[in-house]
Amino acid sequence: MSRRLQSLLLIMLAAVLACQTERPLAPPEDPHAPYDFAARKGMVVAAHPLAAQAGLEILERGGNAIDAAIATALALNAAEPFASGIGGGGFMVLYLAGENRVTVINFREKAPAASFPEMFHQDGKINLQRRRTHGLAVAVPGALAGWTHALAAYGTLTLADVVGGAIRIAEQGYEVSSTFSKANKDEYEKLIKNDGEDSLYLNHGFPFEAGDIFRNPELARFFRRLAELGTEDFYSGETASRIVEAVQAAGGEMTLEDLAAYRPQEYIPLSGSYGEYTLYSTLPPSCGGLHILQLLGIAQSWPLQEWGHNSPDYIHHMTEAFRFVFADKARYLGDPDFVSIPVGQLISQEHAQAVASRIRPGHTAGRYPSGEFGLEDGVDPNTTHLCVVDKEGNIVSLTQSINHFFGSGIVPADTGFLLNNHMDDFAADPLSPNAPGPHKRPVSNMGPLLLFREGHPYLALGSPGGTRIFPSLTQILLNVTVFDMSLDEAIEAPRFYSHSNLGKAGKLYLEDRISEATRTALEKMGHSLVIKEAFDRYFGGAQGLMLLPDKGLILGGADSRRDGHGAGY
Amino acid sequence: MIKTRHCSLAALAIALLCALPGYAGEEVKFEQPLLISSAGQSAEVQMVAILAKRSDLAYTLIKFASAQDLDGVKTLVLSLGASLKGLGAAGLDVQQEKDRLVQLVEAARARNMPVVCLHLGGQDRRGKLSDDFISTFLPYARLTIVVRSGNQDGLFTRICSQHDIPLIVVEKTVDAIQPFRQAFQ
Repeated sequence: MSRRLQSLLLIMLAAVLACQTERPLAPPEDPHAPYDFAARKGMVVAAHPLAAQAGLEILERGGNAIDAAIATALALNAAEPFASGIGGGGFMVLYLAGENRVTVINFREKAPAASFPEMFHQDGKINLQRRRTHGLAVAVPGALAGWTHALAAYGTLTLADVVGGAIRIAEQGYEVSSTFSKANKDEYEKLIKNDGEDSLYLNHGFPFEAGDIFRNPELARFFRRLAELGTEDFYSGETASRIVEAVQAAGGEMTLEDLAAYRPQEYIPLSGSYGEYTLYSTLPPSCGGLHILQLLGIAQSWPLQEWGHNSPDYIHHMTEAFRFVFADKARYLGDPDFVSIPVGQLISQEHAQAVASRIRPGHTAGRYPSGEFGLEDGVDPNTTHLCVVDKEGNIVSLTQSINHFFGSGIVPADTGFLLNNHMDDFAADPLSPNAPGPHKRPVSNMGPLLLFREGHPYLALGSPGGTRIFPSLTQILLNVTVFDMSLDEAIEAPRFYSHSNLGKAGKLYLEDRISEATRTALEKMGHSLVIKEAFDRYFGGAQGLMLLPDKGLILGGADSRRDGHGAGY
Repeated sequence: MIKTRHCSLAALAIALLCALPGYAGEEVKFEQPLLISSAGQSAEVQMVAILAKRSDLAYTLIKFASAQDLDGVKTLVLSLGASLKGLGAAGLDVQQEKDRLVQLVEAARARNMPVVCLHLGGQDRRGKLSDDFISTFLPYARLTIVVRSGNQDGLFTRICSQHDIPLIVVEKTVDAIQPFRQAFQ
C-alpha cells in the first residue's frame, strides 16, 4: 500500500469520525507530526489558529472564499502582527468556480515618488539602516486597497462585515507563541528605536515571552474606525495623515499624494504546464511563480524518484538549479511596468534544458551566469500565507507581508499597526532592473499558487520565507507530485536551500534531519554546508489545501515551523 | 507571590555574592561605569542596556566593543546569545566575533575587571550557535543572570557550578532589573 494511500485512508477515517461526532479530531500533540486537517465543505489554513477560525466563521455565515480570505488576512494583522498587516502588501491568486477562471490581484507596495536608484547610498556605501528601520524603508502600503478590491469584485460581504474577527482577536488578546516571542526578541532593537519603550509591541519595554498575553486595543479601535470610514480614510483621510507623519518623523519622504495615488492591479495569472498539472501563480514583480515553473521545468528531465527523496543526487541537482534560477532573478527581474522581463523565454522548455545541461552530476558548477547585479540574501523569515476554499469551490491563495518581522518598527499614532520595510526589497545596485524609483514595486519572492490536475483545482499553496519561498514551494510540490507524500507530510519534510550571488555559489542550508551520510556526500560534491534546526523558520511556513472532490474531501496542511493551523467544516 | 520570592532569593544571592571571593581569591566588586557588549550579536544586548537604564546605572553600549573601549570602565557586561541576523548585519562571521570577544575578556581579566554575563533570550536563544558562545565566554563571568527558560537543560547551572560563578535565575527579563541593580550597590 503506498504511503499516500495509507495517509488518505487515515484522513478519510478522521473525516468520517469528525462528521459523526460533529467535532474535528484534535491535531497530534507533537506539532511536527504530519497532520492533514480534513473538512467537507470549506476550509481556511493560516499561520495562526485564531486567524483560521476568523475565516471559518465567515464561511459558516455564508460568505464565500474571498470574504473569508480577507477576514483571515485582517485577523492575521491582529493574531500574527509581526508578519503582515494593513501596513504592508502582497499578492493573491483567486479561482472563481462559477466562471472557471483564475485571476490575480497584485497589492504589492509601491515606492514613494521621491525614490531614486541611489537613495540608500551614503558615503559610497549601502546604508542598511535606511533600507530597513528608517522612514525611507517604508513603501506605500497596498494591503487595504487589495483586500477591498477583492471584496468589491468577487466577495459577497463588505469590509465592515469581515473585520469583526480581527477586532475580537485584537481586543481579547491571546497567548504569545514561541514564534511571536522569538521574532519580538530578534526585532527588539528596531521596536525600541522606532516605537519606544512604551510600544504596544513590547511588554513594559521588554519583549513578550511565550505564554504572555498580547492585546492590541489600539488596533481594535482603528479597525472599528476603518469599518466606519472605509478605505478613503486610509489613503486620503486622517489615517493617511498619520501614516505620512510617522514616516516623515522617521526620516522618510512619503507624501499624502503617494498614498492617494495607490491602486492595486488585477491581471491574468502566469501559468505553465508540468506533467499532468497546470500551475497558476503571479507574474512579476512577484517572482515566486515564475521561478517555481523554471525549477519544475528543469527537474522534469531528471529521474527524481530513482534518486530518492532528499538523496545526495536529488539535493545536489535541485541546489544547482536554485543557483542558476537565482542568477536569472538577479539579471532580469524588476517591476514589469518599468522593465522588460523575458518571462516566456525563462519558463520555456529550451531554457530549462539549457540550464539542466549545465548541471553536472557529482560536482558543483562553480559559476552561475548572473549578469552584473548582486542579490541580497537576508536571513529573515518574514511574511505569511493563507488559503481558503468555500463550498462552491472558489479558492484563494494569498501571501502578504510587511517584509521583515515587525516591518520597519514604525507604528502610526493611534493605529496599532506596523508599517512595512519593503523598500529593502529593491536592489542595492542603482543599475539593477530592480533599483528603486518613483512608483516602482520592488521584486518580491512571494509565489501564491494554484495547481490544477487534469483541468481541475488540486492544490492551493504558498509560503513566507524571503528568498527561501520558491525553493521551499518547489520542494513541497515535488514531494506531493513525485514522492507521493500527503500534503502536510510534504510541508513538514526536511528542506534545503541555496542561492547564487554574482555568479558564485552560496552555502547550502539543510535542516538537521537530513542524514550525516547525505551531508558528507554533498560536501564531497563541493557544497559548503550550513546545518539549521530540525524544523527551522528560516525555510518558511507554508500553508496549503488539497482538493479531492471524488472523495468529498478538503485537506489542509499548515507548517509547524511557525504556528500554522487549519479550520474547516 | 512567586515573583516576590524570586526577587527575595535574588537579593539573598547578591548579598552572598558580595561576601564571596572571586576566582582570583579577591572579593568581587561590581562598580560603575559599565561597558555593555554583545557576545553573539543577538538583539538582547539592547535589553541589557534598558535594564541598566532602568537601574540608574552609568553605562556605555558598544555592540562590537574592543579592548580599548575598556578604558575608564569598571565592569564589563556581556549579553550572551548568537544571532545569524545580527552577525550578518554587522558583517561578521562567527570566528571574527569570537576572536573579538576573546581579546575583550582577556583584556578585562588583565585589568582585573569583573565580567557579568546575562542571557535574556530564554529557550529561543539557545541552540548550537548560542551554546558555543555560552560555553566559551560564560566561564569568564563573576556573576550570571539568566531567564529561566534558557536554563531548562541546566547548561548555565553546570557551567556556573564548575567555575564557582554565582547564578541568578529570573522568570522574565523584567525580573532581572532588581538583581542587576543590586549587584552594583
